[in-house]
Amino acid sequence: MKVQISNGMFFALIINMIYAKAIGVTQGSMAREIGGDIWISTLIATVQGTVIMSLVIFVIRRMPEGDLIDQSERLFGKWFGKFVALITFIFFLAAFGPIMSTFIFHLKDYFLPEAPILLFICAAFLIGTYAIFFGLEVIARMALIGVFSIIALNILLMLGTLPEFDIRELRPTFQMGFIKTVWASRHHNADWAMATIMAGIILPMVGDKKSWGKMGFAGIAYGMVFVIMWPILEAGVLSPETAAQYIVSCMQMARSAQIGYFVHRYEMIMVAFFALSMLTQIMMSLLCASVAMQKILGLKDYRKVIIPTALILSTFGYWINFNKNRAVDFLEGWWVYISVGVAVVLPMMILVLGFFFKKKLKKKIVAEEAK
Amino acid sequence: MTSVEEKNTFFRDLQDNEELMTEILGGSVDLVKRRITFHEHKNVQALCYYTDGLADVTHIEQFISDLLYKGNLLLQHATLPTDNPLTLLKEHMLSSASFQVIKEVGQAVDGILSGVAVLILDGSNDVFLIQTKGWEKRGVDEPQTEQVVRGPRDGFTESIRTNTALVRRRIRDPKLRIEQMTVGKRSKTDVNIAYIGDIVKEGLVEEVKKRINDINIDAILESGYIEELIEDAPRSPFTTVQSTERPDKVASSLLEGRVAIFVDNTPFVLVVPSFFWQFLQASDDYYSRWMTGSFFRAIRYLAFVLSLTLTSIYVMLVSFHQEMIPTQLILTIASGREVVPFPVLLEALLMETAFELMREAGLRMPKPVGQAVSIVGSLVIGQAAVQAGIVSPFMVIIVALTGIASFAIPNYAASFSIRLIRFPLLIAAGMLGLLGFSAMFALLAIHALTLRSFGESYLAPATPFQPKDQKDSIIRFPWWKMQARPMGVTGDEKRVGDNQFPEPPNTDPYSDEAGNRDEDNQKGRDQSKRKKSRHIIKLKGDDEE
Repeated sequence: MKVQISNGMFFALIINMIYAKAIGVTQGSMAREIGGDIWISTLIATVQGTVIMSLVIFVIRRMPEGDLIDQSERLFGKWFGKFVALITFIFFLAAFGPIMSTFIFHLKDYFLPEAPILLFICAAFLIGTYAIFFGLEVIARMALIGVFSIIALNILLMLGTLPEFDIRELRPTFQMGFIKTVWASRHHNADWAMATIMAGIILPMVGDKKSWGKMGFAGIAYGMVFVIMWPILEAGVLSPETAAQYIVSCMQMARSAQIGYFVHRYEMIMVAFFALSMLTQIMMSLLCASVAMQKILGLKDYRKVIIPTALILSTFGYWINFNKNRAVDFLEGWWVYISVGVAVVLPMMILVLGFFFKKKLKKKIVAEEAK
Repeated sequence: MTSVEEKNTFFRDLQDNEELMTEILGGSVDLVKRRITFHEHKNVQALCYYTDGLADVTHIEQFISDLLYKGNLLLQHATLPTDNPLTLLKEHMLSSASFQVIKEVGQAVDGILSGVAVLILDGSNDVFLIQTKGWEKRGVDEPQTEQVVRGPRDGFTESIRTNTALVRRRIRDPKLRIEQMTVGKRSKTDVNIAYIGDIVKEGLVEEVKKRINDINIDAILESGYIEELIEDAPRSPFTTVQSTERPDKVASSLLEGRVAIFVDNTPFVLVVPSFFWQFLQASDDYYSRWMTGSFFRAIRYLAFVLSLTLTSIYVMLVSFHQEMIPTQLILTIASGREVVPFPVLLEALLMETAFELMREAGLRMPKPVGQAVSIVGSLVIGQAAVQAGIVSPFMVIIVALTGIASFAIPNYAASFSIRLIRFPLLIAAGMLGLLGFSAMFALLAIHALTLRSFGESYLAPATPFQPKDQKDSIIRFPWWKMQARPMGVTGDEKRVGDNQFPEPPNTDPYSDEAGNRDEDNQKGRDQSKRKKSRHIIKLKGDDEE
């Protein structure tokens, strides 16, 4: 039987897929460009993310039984399908770099400075491959718990930082100008790109097709609610200048959080809550890359390619993160262009082609249903 | 003569049947053979077989004396061999339900070996099966592993019929079905499956039966055999089949649409499907007031977290992340560890192993000795080890706390599972710090998420999240709030009626409500009306003041 996940799980996956990187690493990158307007940029990126997500949902709805790759295959045949699968694979390969950067920067820089990078790569490899072997449902269920841990993390952080919050740090708005603020939103768009391409792969496995749109928007809206607190607090508590000086600005804020006189230095508890979102990103990128690899090779089950795919992704993750400068350059440069490019062009291309070859697509769907 | 394997039915001749039975049963001393002659004039011979110790001899004596008396009367006017003596006896003596006429040799042999007496008459290839089961058994006693402060004190015994009766006493519903099965090629152990017909989850009974039918084993000596042969995750440290000694627990499970598996010769009854969180729930939770029940349940959840993670977190913090510990506390820990020559991980492993040794020794030894071992062990190992500088006092406290927390988990099997998974977590945390701890924890969480128990997710209702079932998870909601049965129950889904919130009756004679009280009682308690009447009483009280 085909694996099915509930719409609630899909919603949880969207939130987890953006959260881990968006709250700290992305905010640091944006703060370096636009200072205190990071929260406005985050909001703008969410609007753009909503548009792209709607596009993906619209495209998949035309042929709900297949993902973006299947639809491409039905439009222009096997080789075009393989080409789109290759693009998807490259997307998740590139995504694995920043995902591993987020994982490594959080744990190595703040907890285990002497541990070799390979150790983190191995841990991610082990957990990721083990989880995706059991399929999407297990990851989705973990993501559901992840939503609760995100809520717990946000509450803990608010309790520890709100007394230090100074709204004056957020003023004036648009201090770097409107265009620059919109342009800085590309960093967060890269996070949304991961969620949208993931949706393009897993949507056919989401149970209730009628409420795809509703749940997609709910996921984006809640994701925005959970994320937006961070740039506001980072700017209002740390100050934009301080936030800009750290690659992982959220960790710096978590470290300085304090509840009353007695509860301080509880960042480890916060990292424990954060871990589920982080792991969901690792697992989902491995899963989607494996599915893409499976379709490139024309296999029936993605499980056969889990290990080789994970090895390729891990090697890339190691290479990127072995040099911290390279990791940050990739994170703020290449990755942004690859992710936004693929997330916009791929669904748009399938949408337009599908529009022109509507009859062909319909014929194929009818023929397959008749079979 | 035909061989035993080939012979399925009895001969007409008693001599042949005797030889057949001797060949099958051999010469075991506990297998009794009695020769009886009816009506000496017509010389009708019969043989009675039974197992000494399994059959009730008084019952057999009574039966034989009845048979001799009535048999003589019946056979006086019979024309032999035209009249089958067994048919005559069957027609005139089968007034009791405990008599059965059978044809198959195998059935007769199984009967003898399970305490039934078999009567073989000359000239008939049908035989009598007389229900004479009766052996020494332990009385109903308090369960040893699941004790409660408030609640019934009766526990299951080794007799399957006593056990089913204990449940039947609690659910006098004709829909409570108990089905018979036999497992074990040599042991032929009785296995009963119990469920409530109109609320059991769809397809569950068939699945349970299928799995039990698929068992191919020589003997079932305890329900643990069945558990291991039917569970969904045989390679997992988690137990996915619940075992209990408490009839009330089984009854409540049946009322939640689950299936109970009774196995003869053991007081442990299996319940499927089972969910992880159930292992943290005790019967008391439901018998105490809901706030008390919820509080103790919350304590047990805390015990679970402590039991699983406390030692690992301590080792992780002291070995790798000292900056996370408040300064005063880390100084105290450091002063205690000053003389300890081992790394924290080794220290923890030593103490945990010593604790497990003491626990196991205390459990296996005779009770008085066991107590002495645990007291002496804890004193010697704890105090002396600290004084000798082998372990730090803080580690003793941590391990003791972890141990106590593991004992707070009501189900022994679940408690053991948690103790088992504590070790990989401890080693990972001790070797790789936060990374090791979180990686191992994630692996364990993923593993737990993949588990299923008879098609149901093992971690339900937490994941997949079922909002309705949260009323009986961390907090035990009051009975008047827990109206529905758990998700998945088919048919009679409602458990508690509407408006069950208890309130004293309206005592105001002038209130409009008082006149309608009877009607209200019939319709059910309308809370909003009561609130209004309470308000009236309050106003009246104010006037009097």
